[in-house]
Amino acid sequence: MCENHVINTLFTDFQSNMDREQEIREVIRNICKDVGQISREATTVLQVIHHNEAGINPACLKARELFEKAREGYARLTEALPPNDYYKYQEHWRNMTQRYCFLIALTIWLETGILATHETVAEVLGISALERKTGFHLDIEDYLNGLLQLCSELSRLAVNSVTRGDFEKPMQISKFVMELNAGFRLLNLKNDHLRKRFDVLKYDVKKIEEVVYDLSIRGLRPKPEPVVEG
Amino acid sequence: MPPPGKHYRGNRKGSNQTHTLASVARETATSLPADSPVLAIFKDAARKLNERQDRHERLVKLSRDVTIESKRIIFLLHSPITKESSENTLTEAKDRVQKLINGPIKSIGLELENSPAHLHGRAVTAGFQEFIEARTLLSLMAEKRIITYPEVQKELEYDITDDDNQRSLVTMLPESDYMLGLADLTGELMRKAINSISSGDSEECFQACQVVRHLYTGYLGITGSRLLVRKLPTTRANVNKVEMAVYALKVRGGETPAPLLLPAAPAEWEPPINLSDDEGYY
Repeated sequence: MCENHVINTLFTDFQSNMDREQEIREVIRNICKDVGQISREATTVLQVIHHNEAGINPACLKARELFEKAREGYARLTEALPPNDYYKYQEHWRNMTQRYCFLIALTIWLETGILATHETVAEVLGISALERKTGFHLDIEDYLNGLLQLCSELSRLAVNSVTRGDFEKPMQISKFVMELNAGFRLLNLKNDHLRKRFDVLKYDVKKIEEVVYDLSIRGLRPKPEPVVEG
Repeated sequence: MPPPGKHYRGNRKGSNQTHTLASVARETATSLPADSPVLAIFKDAARKLNERQDRHERLVKLSRDVTIESKRIIFLLHSPITKESSENTLTEAKDRVQKLINGPIKSIGLELENSPAHLHGRAVTAGFQEFIEARTLLSLMAEKRIITYPEVQKELEYDITDDDNQRSLVTMLPESDYMLGLADLTGELMRKAINSISSGDSEECFQACQVVRHLYTGYLGITGSRLLVRKLPTTRANVNKVEMAVYALKVRGGETPAPLLLPAAPAEWEPPINLSDDEGYY
């Protein structure tokens, strides 16, 4: 029956397309596994900032080295990805990319005390910041998610700096995170994953403000002139 | 001792304490310069996010337009009872499908012209599936064959001329949406088969049943698509229903008045041959 033949071709074509897709997924998954491993290494390296002031600079240098490696990984990923299909396979690298945004923003903040822009982060990873019809880029939502992770990490750093006897860093962190907080309020967030992550920010802000408050009422706050670092 | 809450309120009212949590927060927030680079970054991000959300909303609307019109076309295709009226219906349905292709579906293509494919896939998938359902049902009724994916995709290519510039535009139809729409087609065919029994056209009923079976067999062979697997139970139910209907037609056909009988229907009872081997799968 002719109808049967048409239907059969229909399904075999679809199945072969699905198989091809599976192969691409497999390649992408493997690359992401490698690059993800590097991100975990960088996370571990940067943990030193919480207990050792002197370790911060070497940690940043080491992290930079790892970002170089990640950059190679992203280049491989760009190559493996069919140009039209960024959002088809995005779930594979989404978490990892958010993690990198956080790590890069943290490193840059530790080095210079300023906020890394979307373009800067994309450049460190060797990918485009522009959302185009084809090719690989750094999604704006992933970048923002990375910044929210940065705020959580900094709230921890504020507490640990005080423990270490550094009363200036919490002030610097407080100013920085408040600025970010004000910035996030400009965004029109829908009820999605970014919004959920954003809802955590107020607890980070609260934690930092409590540190500042504790320092203030005990007169430990570096008073005379506002300290400008970096 | 007053309760802590009361104490706190009294404290704030009474003295000019500057070091409360709220006041420190307020102080930091107001000390921000309005033109700080951080705020500039976020203004840029807000613009990007808004653009994306607006586009998404527009696409959801277009997709809903496609869905509604497709549902109406399907309804139209179900309505004719006699052979003559079905000719007219087919022409009208063809016309409306063409309008759909040149209207909302083209607009979807225009919206997505400069943004990455699949970013807004979720906004348009419902419309596409319904459209495929209508389009394949039409092709099945008009040409007795199911239109294939490359053929449908070809229909969604446009040539646009504006200001002496000629460019081509394609509304990307994901193949998965095509397959999902096709799964829904089994439901329509089931309806069609049962309708054709009541209108006495048993030949059509058998044909529809055969197509539903072939489709179901095809879906059973597909691996690796989670969405399709989710539709499989519905497809299975459709196969069941249509096979039961055909079975009933065969078995009890002898009790129907002669003019309504199919020519092939045997006078005496014979085993229901229409319980196909598909049944072995569940």
